[in-house]
Amino acid sequence: MSTHPGPRARLAGGLLLWYAVLGGAIAWAVHLIAGWSVDELTCANGSDRVGVLPLRAAIGLAVVLPALATLGALLAAALLWRRTARTPRGDEPERRVGRSRMLAVVGIWLNILFLTIIVLGGVALLVLPPCQV
Amino acid sequence: MSTTAAPTPGASREDLARLEEGWGERPSLRSWFSTVDHKRIGRRYLVTASLFFVLAGLSALAMRTQLARPESRLLSPQEYNQLFTMHGTAMIFLFATPMLFGFGNFLVPLMIGARDMAFPKLNAFGYWVFLFAGLFMWASLPFGAAPNAGWFAYVPLTDEGNTPGLHMDVYSLGLLFLGIATTAGSINFIVTALKLRAPGMSLNRVPLFVWAIVATAFMVIFALPALNADNALLFLDRRFGTHFFDPAHGGNALLWQHLFWIFGHPDVYIIVMPALGIVSAVLPAFTRRGVVGYALVVFAMASIAIISFGVWVHHMFATGLPQLSYGFFSAASTIITIPSGIQIFAWLATMLLGRLVLKVPLLFVIGFIVTFVLGGFTGTMFALTAFDQQVTDSYFVVAHFHYVLIGGAVFPILAAIYYWLPKITGRMYHEGLGRWAFWLFFTGMHVTFFPMHLYGLFGMPRRVYTYPNEPGWAGWNLVATAGSYVLAIGLLLVLIGVVHAVRRGRPAPPDPWGGDTLEWSTDSPPKPYNFPVLPQVHSLHPTWDETSRTSMTEGATDDRIMADGRRTLATSELDGRRERTVDMPESSLQPLLLALAMLVFFTSMLFGWYPVAIVAGLVVAATIAVWLWPTRRPEQELGVR
Repeated sequence: MSTHPGPRARLAGGLLLWYAVLGGAIAWAVHLIAGWSVDELTCANGSDRVGVLPLRAAIGLAVVLPALATLGALLAAALLWRRTARTPRGDEPERRVGRSRMLAVVGIWLNILFLTIIVLGGVALLVLPPCQV
Repeated sequence: MSTTAAPTPGASREDLARLEEGWGERPSLRSWFSTVDHKRIGRRYLVTASLFFVLAGLSALAMRTQLARPESRLLSPQEYNQLFTMHGTAMIFLFATPMLFGFGNFLVPLMIGARDMAFPKLNAFGYWVFLFAGLFMWASLPFGAAPNAGWFAYVPLTDEGNTPGLHMDVYSLGLLFLGIATTAGSINFIVTALKLRAPGMSLNRVPLFVWAIVATAFMVIFALPALNADNALLFLDRRFGTHFFDPAHGGNALLWQHLFWIFGHPDVYIIVMPALGIVSAVLPAFTRRGVVGYALVVFAMASIAIISFGVWVHHMFATGLPQLSYGFFSAASTIITIPSGIQIFAWLATMLLGRLVLKVPLLFVIGFIVTFVLGGFTGTMFALTAFDQQVTDSYFVVAHFHYVLIGGAVFPILAAIYYWLPKITGRMYHEGLGRWAFWLFFTGMHVTFFPMHLYGLFGMPRRVYTYPNEPGWAGWNLVATAGSYVLAIGLLLVLIGVVHAVRRGRPAPPDPWGGDTLEWSTDSPPKPYNFPVLPQVHSLHPTWDETSRTSMTEGATDDRIMADGRRTLATSELDGRRERTVDMPESSLQPLLLALAMLVFFTSMLFGWYPVAIVAGLVVAATIAVWLWPTRRPEQELGVR
């Protein structure tokens, strides 16, 4: 029986692959830009609130949400790694699975690294007052 | 040049003659100016960047001579300011990146089994712009109008009131001009590496050097706009009285620093990353095995390329931003050492598990590891805000970044020169001369820069044209100056070694080292068409792999010879699956004309000849229009097959 996926499944698979590889990186970029800019701009204005939220809670959201997104990417990368454990015969399938497995390994380590940076940013939020110069 | 040939190609004599006719360039003045051959352009990048390196190095020697003794008056403060600014600016922008782009230009198509870069005319244009931008900046020095406020040009020091004259206009316009070349080159590298890889070269079979060049190119694309914006705003402030950086009129002085370092820190990795790729390319040949942990090294490159954009504020730890903001950047600055460390351990493991062949390129790689690790160690110290604030603007910083940049870029560049010289020139270098060059360079480098850690900690500030006789300063400065002369002699021996190889070296075989990547499967130097038969790749080490090697000889097929015209293969981005053949452009004078028109534009802007600038701008637009105008050709000729 043929196991070729349809175009929608291929698109979804492709997006999931790139989420697994780069999801943590994008989440960390959002965390950094949001956390830093909210902190610096709010403090520069002499305020301790962002809209209705206290500044610490707003920055906390910029830590927790990206951390969850990175965790999701890490799980997706781990899933991809498990699914590419067996190498099929033939040059073409071997190449395809081989590069997917390499991307899975890269994704796992990238996501672990970015999760660590986000968590360290969260630790800074716990120990430092947001506007202390 | 040597005429030693690779093993019998799988192409017939007629095919070879047609390939030569399609790709060869008859030596003439016109072909010198109009060439689009990536190998010739790559060699030009290497030679031109080396010339700028010599100028920047001589500037450094003049400064070290001045600083040998306290209260020295060899150079005036004005001359010193221009020399240290041009030294830094040229080493960063006109030597390190273009030199590594030169290796990329020469090697990437060869390593991926292609016949040229994806956009050969854009490649030629990039080189001409680089040459003219470099001359534009250096030409200001004899007139006493060179940039004079440091390579990072902080406002308000660089605004018109504090630095009058053309100095910083040369800086901002020169870097804007140069940025066009760097951007064009980066786009070309990315498309070449993604679309022109030989069939079978899936992402997990791409050489680490190519990964490094692609990661660098992506960093350039994302980082350079910040520097361009910064320089454009600075020029507008200085020339037309805008107030982007003027707090008195609603501007912000820190805006310059943010934009500069959003570019500036990734730029450290833009310089170092291709050099790390060189190390990963050199090691397999001299350890007789592939680099340990290929996937982890790729991960390390990808993560450094991304995280490098989130560490810029560690250059601004003394600017009074909130501590929590520092915390986010401090976290990233600390964690970025992990992927760097992974690469170091991967190389050490490769050397430990392999069989070392201690030739000159490997000596420079070992010198790189020692020096770069020391630079990385002090770099980790800077990631800690409290320490950073204590040593900011002292000579400790100068010591740190010279360990990182000489360790991380110059040692690998020298390794690359010795490693690929046989491929580039077709001649072998003199091993004994190379060893002397290494030991003098290695010793000179450490004797020059290690003492700077000490007198930096003793409180000597950087960027002073002379200094009082404070305890601990004079003696160590004298040692550093002596070291700089030893270092210069080492570099002179490298130059002599290259000239000796080109003139008297014995002919190089196609693969003198037993390298693993595809450039060693073809002639030294390669023919204009690179490969008579494009390879079918079956592994990460195609030159060590019998199946990949025979795909270029007995296993050759017509669809990989493509002897008619100038054609190469396009393949899919992820799996290297054959897609179609593409026609490559012939040599052209358009790149040179476009670069010349841009030179006129930037020179006119510098001197305020605005009508001339408008005319030059129109010529630029017209040349681009002619360049891009579609030619009417039959479908078959357009590569639709």
